[in-house]
Amino acid sequence: MEKLLIFAGMALVTYFTRYAMIAALGREMPSLLRHWLRYVPVAVLAALIAPAALAPQGELELGLHAWAVLAGAAVAWRTRNVLLTILGGVAAFWLLRVLE
Amino acid sequence: MREFRRGLLATLPLAPGVVAFGLLYGVMARQVGFSPWEAWAMSLIVHAGSAQFTALGMWEAAGAIPIILTTLVINLRHLLMGASVAPHLRGLHPLWKALLALWMSDESYALAIAEYERGRGSHWYFLGANVGIYLAWPTSGLLGALVGTAIPDPGRYGLDLVFPLAFLGLLTAFLKDRISLVVALGAGGLALLGADLLPGKWYVIVAGLLGSGLGLLLEEVKEAWRNS
Repeated sequence: MEKLLIFAGMALVTYFTRYAMIAALGREMPSLLRHWLRYVPVAVLAALIAPAALAPQGELELGLHAWAVLAGAAVAWRTRNVLLTILGGVAAFWLLRVLE
Repeated sequence: MREFRRGLLATLPLAPGVVAFGLLYGVMARQVGFSPWEAWAMSLIVHAGSAQFTALGMWEAAGAIPIILTTLVINLRHLLMGASVAPHLRGLHPLWKALLALWMSDESYALAIAEYERGRGSHWYFLGANVGIYLAWPTSGLLGALVGTAIPDPGRYGLDLVFPLAFLGLLTAFLKDRISLVVALGAGGLALLGADLLPGKWYVIVAGLLGSGLGLLLEEVKEAWRNS
């Protein structure tokens, strides 16, 4: 029972973070803010990618993950396709692991 | 309804990543003393992978309040994601906005915002992507908890690459000019630095804010240059 209460608390604060800005920015907004928001997705996506590629264990390393993501980047650039990017990157990972 | 299905199907390539981490989560939940049903309930109710892993890590040592506060801090990055998707949701019924926020994950946000950027986005597509990830996460968590034995680290099989690779494929939708490219490289560099120096997921927030701020700055400079 106590666990369920903690889950509910976690869900509540999580929902707050997801809903707050969607609700707050519902109306016409200043153009500066709009322009700034246009660059948020590219910055956030890059921020999610870089450490997963170059520091998968927390330390900066030019390892399998980095090369696999580089291969994925080539596929992404050529195809702009999510499925092919995943397949290409994971295939490169497996190939490099076998060769290692 | 077609749009909903399109969003749902778009999550399929990410499923191996969700399931790999879902199984791992289930196993870890058992190790902390959760029953399979409790592990399942946490995923159903909270639906926030990183926060759930962190909560498990502190479960035995910390009380309810620290766990909930940590969850809040880890998920603060969703403020940034919500802000950037908000302009696309303007004019939607408030209930729609409330519903879309409910299961917005990093992955479904990325799918939806890229589709909006390509001019093909819609709230039904967004909902489909949310639901796709939401279906896979608690199910695989329950499965992992029921199996309960050690599951190999997803990193060994490159399954931890599924999300960053998906984000990479979606990033291409935004790389339309030199400024966006500079923003991506700048934010990536800042994130590496931040991941090393800052706790939890702060690196996403810092790199997201500073990176997008850099984009705005460069755009202003370009405008001023052109007008001079």
